[in-house]
Amino acid sequence: MPEVISSYCILIFLVPALTSLLILIAGKVPSVSRLLAFIGMSITFIMTSIVFFESQTKILTALNNQLRIDSLSGLLNGLIGLIGLIVMLYSFPYLKLEKDKGIIQEKKIRSFYWQTMLFIGTMLVAVSTNNIILLWVIIEATTLGSALLVAFYWNKNALEAGYKYLMLLTVGISFALFGCVIIYSGVASHVVNGDPLQITTLSSVVKQGMIAGNIILLSAVFFIVGFGTKAGIAPFHAWLPDAHAEAPTPISALLSGVMIKVGIYALIRTVAMFYSIYATISLFVTILGIFTMLVGVFMMFFQENLKRFLAYSSINHVGYIVMGFGLAGSASSSASDAINNGAYLGMYGALFHMINHGIIKSLLFLCAGAIVYATGIRKIDELGGLSNKMPVTGFCFFVGSFAICGVPLLNGFMSKFTLFLAGAAIPGMLWTTIIAIISSIMALALYMHVAYRIFMGPMPEDIKKLDIKEVPVSMWFGMLVLSFICFVLGIFPQLVYPILDKATHVVLALIAKGSL
Amino acid sequence: MEGINVISILSLSLVITSIAVIEFRNLKYSAYAYCLQAILMCSIFFIFARENHNLYWWLATAFITKVILIPTFLLRYIQKTEVMEIKPPLGYLPSIVISCVIMIFFYKMTHTHADFIAPNPEAMQEPFRTNLAVSFTIFALGLYCILIRRDAIKTVHGLCILENSVHLSLVSLAPKLAETAIIGIVTDVVIAVFLLLYVIHGIYKEFGSTDTYQLKNLRW
Repeated sequence: MPEVISSYCILIFLVPALTSLLILIAGKVPSVSRLLAFIGMSITFIMTSIVFFESQTKILTALNNQLRIDSLSGLLNGLIGLIGLIVMLYSFPYLKLEKDKGIIQEKKIRSFYWQTMLFIGTMLVAVSTNNIILLWVIIEATTLGSALLVAFYWNKNALEAGYKYLMLLTVGISFALFGCVIIYSGVASHVVNGDPLQITTLSSVVKQGMIAGNIILLSAVFFIVGFGTKAGIAPFHAWLPDAHAEAPTPISALLSGVMIKVGIYALIRTVAMFYSIYATISLFVTILGIFTMLVGVFMMFFQENLKRFLAYSSINHVGYIVMGFGLAGSASSSASDAINNGAYLGMYGALFHMINHGIIKSLLFLCAGAIVYATGIRKIDELGGLSNKMPVTGFCFFVGSFAICGVPLLNGFMSKFTLFLAGAAIPGMLWTTIIAIISSIMALALYMHVAYRIFMGPMPEDIKKLDIKEVPVSMWFGMLVLSFICFVLGIFPQLVYPILDKATHVVLALIAKGSL
Repeated sequence: MEGINVISILSLSLVITSIAVIEFRNLKYSAYAYCLQAILMCSIFFIFARENHNLYWWLATAFITKVILIPTFLLRYIQKTEVMEIKPPLGYLPSIVISCVIMIFFYKMTHTHADFIAPNPEAMQEPFRTNLAVSFTIFALGLYCILIRRDAIKTVHGLCILENSVHLSLVSLAPKLAETAIIGIVTDVVIAVFLLLYVIHGIYKEFGSTDTYQLKNLRW
């Protein structure tokens, strides 16, 4: 693919960063900060869309290849831009209501918007950088940029979640820095031309077998622990349910829909290059994926808080994505076609599920936010019979629930089915498919129970007293758009095939032995 | 290289100061011990920088952030909360014994088996070998502090020494790192420490204590 120097690589994070600064300086009045956030996010969305489409035909680079957007990065850019815009639109009435109810003070609105824009900006750099140290710096910056958003309500629960979020992610990510240092140091002496900090150069040297096996193993473990913590992989996931449940709902949607995908992206970029040297690493990643999947679905059983339930479901789905990434490690030049097909399907399914989960989980969190907006209640057992009062939210929640559980005609089915096929295609890995199917069935039962209870079940007396109405258009519009995407990608999965195929080949090229 | 012995001695002193940071029950003294550790680290950077001028960037950023900013933040927030650490689950003596066991075990293991963790032949030679072993040892001590202590501010001390360990390995193994990367890495740490202390201060106001055992509303 041709490489072209593009200013979009810089603009995609410069615009949200400058918007953030502008809001900080001039956004004292809530309507001004809202307007600035809307303009900034709209421009960011347009630019990420351009980057997304341009990255299908060429690799965009800037700053001497320090920023490099290929089709994989472009895919993530597109997802961040889309979810970012929908979440931003959703947050306008959401925060206004919270201010009117006295849950937050007026001055907090400015904080919310400048921090959210900064958070989105850092995520966009994270998926666009080609420098391994910058990747680490920015991944940590996404944590720092969102920490005060997690603790936004500044009450006991929010502070507890904020402390855990900052501490666990900072400690976890320190492992990744150790990994960066070790692999850089190992590679640096072998690089004659080029920058050993660039991921493309690093992977090229690693795959030529120039680095000692122990250094590769050590780096892989540090990367898996470090970026795995950010991605919410079990057993490093403890921060995730607290942060997702206690943050304002628009931020929960961003954290679950996008931020954990950035962690997975970092994991893919750094660990894939080791697969061709040590096949055991890919098996380890697959097992971690399965473990994460089971931890997530098992913990969903015990949740009373709707947002916490969705957070554990995110852990469950991180498991599916990581499992697919692990299965992709079976690909090699010496493997049979069946295995290579399975590896391709694994990576394709992982990327497809990453995008689908981003869309579906954002949808579900926005629905959860709508329920909290209308009722002020988060506990599943205290909700019921909302379908008549909130038909649009109910429809969207059911679409999201069916989609995430892998019901046919919806996008979740296509990506999950691809992952199931991947496990079945690789000899000796059928067990992954069996566990993944069982996990899906359990999740379906849980989701149906929760959705039925909230929307179709008997309405509790306390709720009958409330004047419950459907949420404003600016809130349900985004939910409907996401629901529509769930159907479109479920019925016409071939629409995204060319895009995902290119991104899959980017990862498979990282995995394949020999220089890039 | 000149001053190999000096670097090794300074490097080993980092382990001793780490134990001091962990074991002082007075949080102010822990902060002072951390400041001393930062000065020792800067001294190592200075000796390295005489041969590799690029490391003067490291020295400058480390001095500003580790010697001045982080101890200032720590002391400021200690003043706003409690000076004495919340009583840890382990008594004074058992805690010191465990710290020493961790120190001896990790140092011995990483120094003896440096060939396993050294990414290049140069890292097997002194003083890099000692630095690498010290780096892993301090990392383990930092983790021990974070995991075992119940005072939230003490866990930040643990995080600070854990970060120092990674930075020592960076200087030893990646001395030619671009200054922008160095500034980025160190800035992240300073902001993380500041935000943590800011949130902990909020916790102190809400809960009336910095005891992490009280943070159990969200368990499971």
